[in-house]
Amino acid sequence: MGDMVKGNIAMAEAAIRAGMHMYAGYPITPSSEIMEYMSWRAQEAGRQYIQAESELGAMYMVYGAASVGSRVLTASSGLGISLKQEGVSYMQAADYPCVMISVCRYGDGLGSLQSGQTDYLRETRGGGNGDYRNIVLSPSSVQEAVDLVYLAFDLSEKYRNIVVILTEGALGQMMEDCEYPDYKEVPFYDWAFDGKHTNPQPSQMTMDLYERAQRRNALRAEITENEQRWEAVGVEDAEYVFFAYGIPGRIALGIVDDARKRGEKLGVVRAISLWPFPQKAFDAINKDVKGFVTIETADDGQMVEDVALFAKKKGFGDVPCYTITSPPGVPKTVDVLKKFEAIKAGEVKEVF
Amino acid sequence: MLKEVVFAGFGGQGVLTAGLILSQVALFSGKKATWMPEYGAAMRGGTANCTVKYSDGRIFSPGQEAPDAIMALNIPSFNRFIKILKPGGIMLIDSDIVTCDTNVRDDVKVVGVPATTIVNELNNPRGLNIVMLGALVKLMGDYSEQEAIDGMNDMFSKKGKNAFEAANTEAFKRGYASV
Repeated sequence: MGDMVKGNIAMAEAAIRAGMHMYAGYPITPSSEIMEYMSWRAQEAGRQYIQAESELGAMYMVYGAASVGSRVLTASSGLGISLKQEGVSYMQAADYPCVMISVCRYGDGLGSLQSGQTDYLRETRGGGNGDYRNIVLSPSSVQEAVDLVYLAFDLSEKYRNIVVILTEGALGQMMEDCEYPDYKEVPFYDWAFDGKHTNPQPSQMTMDLYERAQRRNALRAEITENEQRWEAVGVEDAEYVFFAYGIPGRIALGIVDDARKRGEKLGVVRAISLWPFPQKAFDAINKDVKGFVTIETADDGQMVEDVALFAKKKGFGDVPCYTITSPPGVPKTVDVLKKFEAIKAGEVKEVF
Repeated sequence: MLKEVVFAGFGGQGVLTAGLILSQVALFSGKKATWMPEYGAAMRGGTANCTVKYSDGRIFSPGQEAPDAIMALNIPSFNRFIKILKPGGIMLIDSDIVTCDTNVRDDVKVVGVPATTIVNELNNPRGLNIVMLGALVKLMGDYSEQEAIDGMNDMFSKKGKNAFEAANTEAFKRGYASV
């Protein structure tokens, strides 16, 4: 039996066990426990921890540490992740691996301290300047958060690409039982700067950017093919299929579980990878489905754009895509159901 | 079987810990559990609350929906949460603190425990949350007295706090016997 552990703490401990060498960050609600925990735990485990002077400062500290071969982690929330974006883009340009935990708080600008899913588009589209994508993984339980942090470091190094764990304030703050994986010994990367010019790294000023783009495009195709992750229930005969992630993903699973006990044919795709979007999940969906419905803790809905995009690609172009959005916090099942009834009754216009 | 319990009161009364103990008791008994606090700006006003769910199977929503039971340790918490209590649910109050009119709904059961008086008798003022938890566990009927005490002591022992085991056990038993 595992013990009750807070999501933020669980992710921090998972990073230690996954062999993280160095953490740098700047605290912000609702992600601060990651930093607070690292402030003593990293040292105890013989790792490096720096509280930076700013979010951007922290990003360049992990950039520097990655360049000399360290397994690095940073974490923040909402506007804090926005502030990091120059460094995120630079790390991608240098092909440096990094895991970044984004514990989303609701809203634009300062936003609120409450839980939200309003940063889906920023994380899945890269966030900084340039033409890159972060791999984005989103857990819906504390155990899954632990497992995904562990996986994130491996994917980040395999593809030399930033991996974002996109979670919500509610999951960072909630407790659930979890079991940690074993400790992993990770050597410093052999491709890194070592002070002896063993691995000369081309300057961006002189490199052939078009050649690099071809290489990155091929890698992006490989990631898209290999790294789609999702959980689906009931989609084969569903009249409506929900798409959701994180806590709304769990709520959607609960709604479908209840509905199917009553004989109502609903299905759900709970996305675990947000980029690459789990487009393969469409392959199992009932061809006569009446609608796709995203459940998002956001103002206007963001994931619904991806659902519509891949629905079209997968031959569901005529199927209407709706969204059910919720105010900051954890959506109430009863409220989601009310809005879904309105969709079924034709009282809500589709988004796409 | 899925149960939802809200623990609410002033910050410092131990409502978040009471909720955490119940969730650990659930795990200790082989169930699944979630614990969700209300965090952020709401805490600065001085009130705190958390929602605990436990179940034999997978817990879907970990959020506040319609609680089967509520532990309210101050009047604002009683007034706020009595509205969302499930019909037939249990509102457990410290009757020494929640002195307002509690007869506001006919379809729920309000149970008062003089927990402040009890902890003063025990000379253990910080055990208030545990006295209340003892009463709650009995009213819920999902865990035996011993099962819950073992789960609670297991949690504190893992945190290196077994010095309080005897006092916690005593407080729990007094609460359990009070309803």
